Amino acid sequence: MTAVETFNRIGLFTLVRREMIRTMKVINQVIWPPIISTLLYVFVFGLALGNRISSVQGVSYAQFLIPGLIMLQVIDSSYGECSSSIFQGRFMNSIQEMLIAPMSAFEMASGYVLGSLVRALLIAALITIMGAILVHTWPVHWLLYVSVLALVSILFSSLGLIFGLMAEKFDHLAALTTFVITPLTFVGGVFTSAQMLPSALRNLELFNPIFYTIDAFRFSFTGVSYLPLGFSVAMIAVLALAAFSIALRMMAVGYKLRT
Amino acid sequence: MTPAIEIQHLVKRYDDFTAVNDVSLRVEAGEFFGFLGPNGAGKTTTINAIVGLARADSGTIRVFGHDNHEQWREARRTIGLAPQEYNFDRYLSIRDVLIFQAGYFGLRGPQVKARADMLLERFGLASKAKQEFTRLSGGMKRRLTLARALIHEPKLIILDEPTAGVDVELRLELWDLLRELNGDGLTIFLTTHYLEEAEALCKTIAIIREGRIVTQESTRDLIAHGASLQDVFLELTRS
Repeated sequence: MTAVETFNRIGLFTLVRREMIRTMKVINQVIWPPIISTLLYVFVFGLALGNRISSVQGVSYAQFLIPGLIMLQVIDSSYGECSSSIFQGRFMNSIQEMLIAPMSAFEMASGYVLGSLVRALLIAALITIMGAILVHTWPVHWLLYVSVLALVSILFSSLGLIFGLMAEKFDHLAALTTFVITPLTFVGGVFTSAQMLPSALRNLELFNPIFYTIDAFRFSFTGVSYLPLGFSVAMIAVLALAAFSIALRMMAVGYKLRT
Repeated sequence: MTPAIEIQHLVKRYDDFTAVNDVSLRVEAGEFFGFLGPNGAGKTTTINAIVGLARADSGTIRVFGHDNHEQWREARRTIGLAPQEYNFDRYLSIRDVLIFQAGYFGLRGPQVKARADMLLERFGLASKAKQEFTRLSGGMKRRLTLARALIHEPKLIILDEPTAGVDVELRLELWDLLRELNGDGLTIFLTTHYLEEAEALCKTIAIIREGRIVTQESTRDLIAHGASLQDVFLELTRS
């Protein structure tokens, strides 16, 4: 046995493992649906309707679609995993197993976020393979691919933690997805490039944080972005840091966890 | 000798309601300590403050000499909690409930697995090791709660009504287990509504009423005040 010293590494990775087990137990809810829906998007929008569009950013429309669809599912999965896991833990009181253990707020928040990141990477990898097989597209900038995926997952997992802590019922968790995340993702460039939009809408996109994530991530496939790459990555990193800091603070004060 | 629990002037408020009001307690290492009181008297709030689930508004709590605010890692490492309600992780098997709990306490490896197997055996749960807790009977869930509290080899276990809702046979079985654990040197802090349970098991008893300790004495001295512990309890806790 190894005892806790000043950093409970074992506790943190136990939580990550627990989140992975949870993912595998509900695989029909959390892994296959995003894969199937992406497959449908690719067939309907990419291959059927996409044939009517000559090319976007120098690639076929179906190829253009893949990175956007990966982001769509990574955002949805990251938020959903963290928000539902922590809310369920609060609801069932099983989170007390960690709250009474020598685990710091940082270890707990990081455990949830890393668990969510693993799930997001798995989904991203499956869709990437699907894209390679079906529409022959593949990331060309792997470091950027992994970095943006990780930052976006951290950002939305942290938002999941924040809302999972705030929510009083499951319905509250869905509110952010329904009214904010899904609309912003769909208008954030999953299906369209900024050049396709009227100039007024194009300027509005700059206020949509999800636009930065998709624009930067698509660069890892196409080598083309609407905004300067460094600016978008920095913007995502700042947002991820801010969201994680808020989640961490809520954990540290025991918001709705400790009385 | 360093006491297992030393609480000084603990105050815990929820808005305008003072749940725990200037509570001071001392539980000696190795003691079987009973903490009694009517519903809403402040028992669970006191327990929550000891284990870190509630933050004290004022006062100090030391567990085996470790301040549970300043030295929270060391303090928590010494405590095992068996809460009244079943709050197991529904995604884990019974064996994994124990192994993951040890993980949160920073423990892993073959020794943890061996201890989990030993506890499952000792508590009569070995045949259910791969099942989920929802498939256990009420009595088995109670025993699992105890096993989980013990997985990280704490020096103190806090039992919040461990025999609530269990039949007489199981209650007596749990009493034997608790006596055995206490005999092995484990400090036990017990809350219960069954006064005969406290009388049979506890060496020292504290009674809390409306957030204040109204007495803390050896069980023997306490009973000497009246015909039975029930008489004393009712006398001290009646409004």
